[in-house]
Amino acid sequence: MRIGFNFTLTETTEMVRRMIAEGHIDYCELLIDNFLCVPPAELARAFDCPTGFHIMFSEFIDEDLDALENFATRLRPFIRDMKPLYVSDHGASFTHHGVNLFHLGELDYARDYDRVRVRVDLWQEMLGQRIFIENYPSIMEGGWEAPRFFERLMQDTGAGALFDASNSVCANLNCGAPLEAWDKVIASTNHFHVAGYSRAVNPPHIVHDSHAEELAEDTLAFLRGRRHIFDKPDATITYERDGNIEYDSIIADLRRLREIFTSGTEERQDERAIACAN
Amino acid sequence: MNEPSLARTDRELFDVLTSPSRILDYPPNSRAYGRIDVSLRAYWHSTFDICPELLELSGPDGMTIFAPFMEWAREQGVRFTWSYYLWLYRWLRQSVFRDRLGDELLISLMGASAARWAIRDRGAAHGLAIGCAATPTFVVGWKCRSLSAGRQVELVELDQPIAVGDAFFGFFTTPGSEIAEFPGWRSLPL
Repeated sequence: MRIGFNFTLTETTEMVRRMIAEGHIDYCELLIDNFLCVPPAELARAFDCPTGFHIMFSEFIDEDLDALENFATRLRPFIRDMKPLYVSDHGASFTHHGVNLFHLGELDYARDYDRVRVRVDLWQEMLGQRIFIENYPSIMEGGWEAPRFFERLMQDTGAGALFDASNSVCANLNCGAPLEAWDKVIASTNHFHVAGYSRAVNPPHIVHDSHAEELAEDTLAFLRGRRHIFDKPDATITYERDGNIEYDSIIADLRRLREIFTSGTEERQDERAIACAN
Repeated sequence: MNEPSLARTDRELFDVLTSPSRILDYPPNSRAYGRIDVSLRAYWHSTFDICPELLELSGPDGMTIFAPFMEWAREQGVRFTWSYYLWLYRWLRQSVFRDRLGDELLISLMGASAARWAIRDRGAAHGLAIGCAATPTFVVGWKCRSLSAGRQVELVELDQPIAVGDAFFGFFTTPGSEIAEFPGWRSLPL
């Protein structure tokens, strides 16, 4: 498992370079749409490690087609020149009747399937690239339907899942959707996210993916318990932190991830062999 | 496990995610209430964390500005694009706070809008300028054009207030890394 960190704004450039130099991360995930005005050659030189691309605001499910093609036209040179480990995007609603949702909305997995499928096909064609779609940290009941939605979408479009482990933990805590329901999705993809979440003070103590805290013990336990399906050759897991950017705290989490995915190698190979046999 | 929700899917709540009044239609201990609250907090923090000067007008919880502005914005069809800080200023000008508005707050909100455009816009333009009929200062937001510079917001001082057409605010975008020409002011998008 390769472990990475998300790079979203230039303010953290030196910190990310230090993480690379000290061997804490193996790659860097760029929130690529923030850097489309930077010359590709400069961006390619920025970090001495491989990169992944995470797209934040393509809004590929709902965006006007001309605007989406324009966006793709400017993104393709970066994909061509930098050859990222993966290109990922979001399976979520960014607007409602044209109004921007500052906390993104969850898809209606039954009602939205057909149009999402069409747009995933189109977006992959526009980018000339397989894309990996991130799952949503459900608050409402959508969490129950999300795993099957992703299984169908992957099968029908050839896209991958960017499986966010802590988002599924949020969904589990909010609506009770079992983590085991994601096993097929986890086993079928190589690319993962993980982050800290926060819990509301007042009942019903809604949990949301704040990216501002250290990893919760239940998230770490989920990774440990399912590492035989998470961990594969060429797999990546990006640790996201967008708030409370404290170097030592981030490094502590990166070490926790490293410990999970490097300890017990022989035991893990046995687990994988058993999983394959089953 | 939480109590059963009054709505099953997230989409059923989309209509009320910007409404500090309609959240009260839901029991405070319901998941639907919690979901709407998460949404409202995102708007609140995007407003007051970026422009803390607003709290000097409203008091520490911001609600004397936030609640009526959000309802007014719903009525007006404000879409919470980069321009919403400017719509907030327009609302302030016709609110009970209208006699307490100074240039500092105006420039702060213009800067917030320019910064939001620079981080959120996905079009090809590199920069966006915002002018206002009430000040000779206009604000320019630049997207990240190099890792060493990052995203930038510049203030440009003129000798006298700018004529921005019939509107109070105007804007234009620039395709390159500097303002090479003035294409004329455009009116504010919702």
